[in-house]
Amino acid sequence: MAASIALPRVKQQNTPLTFVRLIPGILLLAAVGYAGKFLEHFLNTYAKSHHWTFPNIEYVLWAILIGLTISNLLTVPEIFQPGIATYEFWLKTGIVLLGSRFVLADVLKLGGISLALVVVEISLSLLLMHGLGRAFNLTPKLTSLLAVGSSICGVSAIIAAKGAIDADDEDSTFAIAAILALGALALFTFPLIGHSLHLSDTVFGLWAGLGVDNTAEATATGAIYSDAAGKVAVLAKTARNAMIGFVVLAYAIYWAKRGQASTVGNKAAFLWNKFPKFVLGFLLMSLLVSFHTFSKDQITSLANLSRWAFLLTFAGVGLRTNFRQMSKQGLRPFVVGALGEVLIAALTFGLVLGANRIWGL
Amino acid sequence: MPASSSKSFALSLDTWAVILALALALAVRFDIFKKIPW
Repeated sequence: MAASIALPRVKQQNTPLTFVRLIPGILLLAAVGYAGKFLEHFLNTYAKSHHWTFPNIEYVLWAILIGLTISNLLTVPEIFQPGIATYEFWLKTGIVLLGSRFVLADVLKLGGISLALVVVEISLSLLLMHGLGRAFNLTPKLTSLLAVGSSICGVSAIIAAKGAIDADDEDSTFAIAAILALGALALFTFPLIGHSLHLSDTVFGLWAGLGVDNTAEATATGAIYSDAAGKVAVLAKTARNAMIGFVVLAYAIYWAKRGQASTVGNKAAFLWNKFPKFVLGFLLMSLLVSFHTFSKDQITSLANLSRWAFLLTFAGVGLRTNFRQMSKQGLRPFVVGALGEVLIAALTFGLVLGANRIWGL
Repeated sequence: MPASSSKSFALSLDTWAVILALALALAVRFDIFKKIPW
C-alpha cells in the first residue's frame, strides 16, 4: 500500500485541527535537524581543541543519519507522521528563498546550461528506462512511472503521472519505493565519488541536480558536498522540475490514445496544473534580488531562512526513509531502478564533464 | 505533487510554499525580522 512508505502528502482539511496535528512532527523535524547542526559544531570544536584531524561532516549528513536511525531502529509514533510529511513543504519554501542567492544573470547562465543538459538527460533516461522495463518484463505503466520518476523529479513526477495515466496504486508504490531507496543511496555515494575525483562545486552541484531523482535528496546530496554545490544542485534540479508538465502530458496523451487513460482536454490548463509553482517563486525571488530590493544583510537573512527550511527537509528525508518497508515492495522494480540509476548517473556525469569542457563551469 | 482536490479556492502545497516564502521575504524587507542567524 502507498501508505506504508509515507508518501509526502499532506491532506488538506480546512480546520484549525489540521495545523495542530502537524505540530508534533514539525517539532520532531526541528529537533532532529538541530541535533545534526549541533553535532557538526560540537565535533568540529572538540576535534580542534584536542588537535585531532577529523573530517568535517556537514550537518546535512548528521540530520539525515539521525533521522534514518530513528525511523529504522525505532517506531515513529503515528502522532508525528502528519508533521513529518511537511518536509516537502519546507523544501519548496527553502527553494523559493534560495532564489535570493542568485542574481538573474546567474540563473540564466547556469539555468540555461542546466536546461540544455536536462533535455538530453530526460530523452536518454526515458529511452533507457523503457528498454530496461521491457528487458525485465515490468508492466508498461510501471515502466512509464519509473521512467518519469528517474528522468524528471522523483516522487512528485510519479504522483503527477499516476493520475494522468490512470496507473495502479501498486505500480506507483513500487516506483516510489525504488526512487526513494535509490535516492537514499545517492546521498552517500555521489559525495564520495565527487571527493575522490576532486570535482569542483559547480560540476558536482550540476551532477547532483541532474543525476539524483528526488528534489529533497538532490538538494541534500549537493549540500553534503558543500554549500556552493548545494546551491547549484537546487538550480539544476529546479530546471529539471520545470519539465514535469511536458513529459507527463506526453505520457497522458500516449496512454489516452491507447484507450488506457482519460483523454486530456485543455492542454494548457493541464500544463499549468502540473507545473511546479515554486519554480516561479524561485525566479521571482531572483528577480527581486537582481533589482536590489534587498540590502546585503537582508539577503544574508533570506539565505539563512532558506537554510532553516532545508534543515527541516533533511531531517524529514531521514525520518521518512524506512528500508524495511521499502524492501517489502519487491525486488524487480528496484533492480530496474538501480540499473537505470547507475547508467543515468554515468550518463549525466559525462554530460556535465562535456559541458564543463565547452563552457568552463 | 498534491494539487487542490476540488474546484474551490484550495491552494496546492507548492503555492502555499511560495506564499510563505514571499511573506517571510516581505518581513525581512520591512525589518520585521531584523537579522536571521544561522
